[in-house]
Amino acid sequence: MFKKLFFLLFLFSLTAAKAQESRSTLSGYLTDSKNGEALIGAKVVISSLNMAAVTNTYGFYSLTVPAGKYKVEFRSPMYPIDTKEIDLTKDVRFNYELGANYQEIQEVVVNAKKGENVNSTKMGQIELQIDQIKTLPAFMGEVDVIKAIQLLPGVSSISEGGQGFYVRGGGPDQNLVLLDEGVVYNAAHLFGFFSVFNSDAVKSVNLIKGGMPANYGGRMSSVLEVNMNEGNNKGFHIKGGIGAISSRFTIEGPLVKNRGSFVISGRRTYIDLIMKAAIPDTSPFAGSSYYFYDVNAKFNYKLSDKDRIFLSGYYGKDVFNFTDRDGGFGADMPWGNGIAALRWNHLFTNKLFMNVTGTFSDYMFKFGSKQDQFRFELASGVRDVGGKVDFSYFPNARHRIKWGADYIYHTFTPTSVSAEADSVVFNTGEAQKLFGHESAIYLMDEFDLNDKIRVNAGLRYSMYQHVGPFTRFIKGDISTPDTAIVYGKGDLLKFYHGLEPRLSFRWLISDQSSFKAGYSYNYQYVHLTSLSAVSLPTDIWFPTTDKAKPQKGWQGSVGYFRNFFNDKYEASVEVYYKGMKNLIEYKEGALPGDNVNDNTDNLLVFGTGRAYGIEFYFKKSVGKLTGWIGYTLAKTERTFPDLNEGKVFAAKYDRRHDLSIVGTYKLNERWTFSTAFIYATGNTLTLPTSWYIQEQNLLYNYGERNSTRMAPYHRLDISATLYSKPTKKHTDPVTNIEVDVKKKFRSNWAFSIYNVYNRANPFFLYVDNDGSFAAGDVKISVKQVSLFPIIPSVTWNFEF
Amino acid sequence: MKKYILPLLFVSTLLLSCTKEVNIDIPGYVKTIVVDGSITTGQPPIVLLSSSQDIFSPTNLQAYIDGFISGAVVTVSNGTNTVTLTEFCTDNLPAGSEAYASSIFGIPEDQLANFHLCAYTSLDPSIWGEVGKTYTLTVTHEGKTYNSVTTIGQPTPLTSLLWTPAPGQDYAKMKGVLSDPPGQYDAYKWELKYLKDPIYTKDFNPFFNDQFFDGLTFDFDVSNPMGYADTSISNQRDFHLGDTVVLKMSKLGKPEYSFFEKKYNQIYSAGNPFATPTNIPSNIDGGAYGVWVGYSPWYDTIICQ
Repeated sequence: MFKKLFFLLFLFSLTAAKAQESRSTLSGYLTDSKNGEALIGAKVVISSLNMAAVTNTYGFYSLTVPAGKYKVEFRSPMYPIDTKEIDLTKDVRFNYELGANYQEIQEVVVNAKKGENVNSTKMGQIELQIDQIKTLPAFMGEVDVIKAIQLLPGVSSISEGGQGFYVRGGGPDQNLVLLDEGVVYNAAHLFGFFSVFNSDAVKSVNLIKGGMPANYGGRMSSVLEVNMNEGNNKGFHIKGGIGAISSRFTIEGPLVKNRGSFVISGRRTYIDLIMKAAIPDTSPFAGSSYYFYDVNAKFNYKLSDKDRIFLSGYYGKDVFNFTDRDGGFGADMPWGNGIAALRWNHLFTNKLFMNVTGTFSDYMFKFGSKQDQFRFELASGVRDVGGKVDFSYFPNARHRIKWGADYIYHTFTPTSVSAEADSVVFNTGEAQKLFGHESAIYLMDEFDLNDKIRVNAGLRYSMYQHVGPFTRFIKGDISTPDTAIVYGKGDLLKFYHGLEPRLSFRWLISDQSSFKAGYSYNYQYVHLTSLSAVSLPTDIWFPTTDKAKPQKGWQGSVGYFRNFFNDKYEASVEVYYKGMKNLIEYKEGALPGDNVNDNTDNLLVFGTGRAYGIEFYFKKSVGKLTGWIGYTLAKTERTFPDLNEGKVFAAKYDRRHDLSIVGTYKLNERWTFSTAFIYATGNTLTLPTSWYIQEQNLLYNYGERNSTRMAPYHRLDISATLYSKPTKKHTDPVTNIEVDVKKKFRSNWAFSIYNVYNRANPFFLYVDNDGSFAAGDVKISVKQVSLFPIIPSVTWNFEF
Repeated sequence: MKKYILPLLFVSTLLLSCTKEVNIDIPGYVKTIVVDGSITTGQPPIVLLSSSQDIFSPTNLQAYIDGFISGAVVTVSNGTNTVTLTEFCTDNLPAGSEAYASSIFGIPEDQLANFHLCAYTSLDPSIWGEVGKTYTLTVTHEGKTYNSVTTIGQPTPLTSLLWTPAPGQDYAKMKGVLSDPPGQYDAYKWELKYLKDPIYTKDFNPFFNDQFFDGLTFDFDVSNPMGYADTSISNQRDFHLGDTVVLKMSKLGKPEYSFFEKKYNQIYSAGNPFATPTNIPSNIDGGAYGVWVGYSPWYDTIICQ
């Protein structure tokens, strides 16, 4: 059935292409004249034909039209519309640098995206330019991509200090986070206060939270695609920022002018230096410290007009040390990601574009402690080596076809423990590693049935093989000894596979409004297991095994999109429903040490989930005042036969109401002000409902899972940015006329206040008890811990 | 002044987090019986019964006292004999049992008579603990019956117990050497007392199992749990020259150990957001909280000299 569908779709595309006689193709790359970087999502429009093409991640476009001469418009978010008359009586390759004749770039003119939200088949998809993100209030002056997307409807953080983000009721593991196509397993620094994305190294951010196209897979909820800068191929530039707790430095320039470039960006916090100064050497806590650093690097080189290669890399690490000399205790906890991606673009014809990518991703977490003579170490991590190939084929203006394949070889180390006391090495079993082959093929076509109806149909077929070496522990009870089954290298334990249909549809009601609908079915072969109430680096990535089945989920959504006043205002309403299967949680009462000499999946239980909601989004993207209002009304639930007595319970990130209001006001060329207000229903949590006594110890019994809710979260942030004058006066020695010339060195001061009205937002609650019954002074109370009160900060940013 | 700015900035950041008491509704309280029972080799079974309390119910001494259950029917069977336990109450204790009663109820000996706190036990030696026997506990209260089974297994002897202070010092921790039997599940509880004391004292968490050292011989530090109460001495966690100390190393079963493992995990993770809420698994059938545990002790005495 599906084979036939594939064949018919492909045949249809080819015949449609064949039928287009007397047609010519305009294709090429669009780049930014400032720095030679590819322009992503720029538009090439022939208004007289009502036809358009959009550049892909590499700036490539292809548009096939009836032969003739046309006025072609080139639109990008950075510049006004640029129009060229092009003779398309034959195929034309037209690489073009936008903005070459445009001097003043202070005002961001958002015109390439005009009407995009109404016209495209994209649902639940939002693109953010880093320039937009940089205008938002920043926590401690550190501009953050993840914090910015958490201001969008349908996206939320679990709390301050929580890692990751939650999209439409899905877990943090259900987001595919890609940095230049390399998978990021942990996108958080400092327990989620900062993300791993250095804003100086990032070019654009694309979030897909529904209607996932078939070229993406492996996660159920969303795709966050972060594209790094390519580096300026015109000249060398330096930029950086000095903030209260961290500083950044970036250098970029040409490898060979106009052919290749590089960018290297680094960032480091100096909390450890502050701690060193704060904690005297005589203190038992001397030596305790925390810091993180990360480095982004990217190189690209144009081999020929048809070939280009990119090499991207990221390496970042958090290091936490704690020392208590009085207690004879010491602990260190490093964690971090290493990511590399090598890509090759090749243009077979002016209609067929190929990208081949090789990726490497490594995430590790370690914990080591020493108490007197006892030493303990725990490590976990995941390493991926993979590759993918994607073809984009543009047979005519009505079809945009993509197909490809991808493959990842996973190596998971859920828990590796070692312990020793003096010379005695304890038996903690062999480090368990799990191996898996994940692969997929896909085909998709975005096509226009007529001027009103556009369809994006795709099919993805994904596979997962759990292979050896592997030891399956079978735990006996008191009377039955433990046993184990050992599988050799390459032995196939289990093969999972399935079809993932994707469909989205747009009906253009008018040029200012459209109705859209989407459906997607996803398999997910990795899981994130968490023992804690908040999300931490200690959460363990765990693959699909013979016992832990792949997560499966489907999402259906419909939406109405409407623009007003010549696209100055955009509005949308989207309704979604999501069903999820094979979700995992730890068994009641599982402890971290239970992983030792056992398979992690022996400690897991499996269940289902559902999420539904409605999202409202209103955005103003043009003018001095820009910003958006997003509101989500949603519910997400879980059902596990082995948890909560099988009864339905709210997911820990279930939020009924989620409101964000974001505004940026550009007063003049020097001052920009912005504000963000967030309101969200409090998170759920499980607290004890009763206490009892055993051997004079006061113990608790917990009630239904997540049956208690914290107070609502709300916060107002404001910021002001003072830019240095962009120009200086220069007197021409020949004409003696004074003119304004652009300054080479530019800087700005970013002032921000986080949590303006000092709201004590709940981070977590716990039940506390003090005193003893014998003394008659026992007191049980519920305590709320809040993290950040009002925090002013200032950062100085510069570039030249 | 300037050099303090950065430290102050950091310290203020650390102190940014604040904790305050809040009022919150926690629904779902169900009154449940709590069984706290044990049987040890050569000793009678001891069972305390009480009720769980709503999390926001009063927590004064009277509430503690009122929580104990009197009037239940409690029997213990060793497969041969079934004996109904008798209630012994603090206001009418047999002579010589005051110290033990004080230790299990946490009431000073001289105040025991002021309260009516009862434990279920038996003076019939036929039901006292024996190695290799399985004991079935049955509790009937307010029309409901609760059952549990525990076994007193073979004890594991301590290989040696050493006290070796550094030259010139008269205090040190003790070092125990244990050879764990290979290929079987073993869980231990350790307690100590000075020879002259009537009862044993536990450390913070006196339980461990052989998850990491099955079949290994290893040594471990033994701190002095009695020292906490004695502020008259220095180096309270050490043993001193002249001390005569008895170490009691008891074996217990897997489900019983699981109860204590989770119990201490709950106690030590209280208020920790990084810990999962953990209900303590009871080995009592019928929906009761608590534990019925058989202990198989091994004793080792050392004179610090």
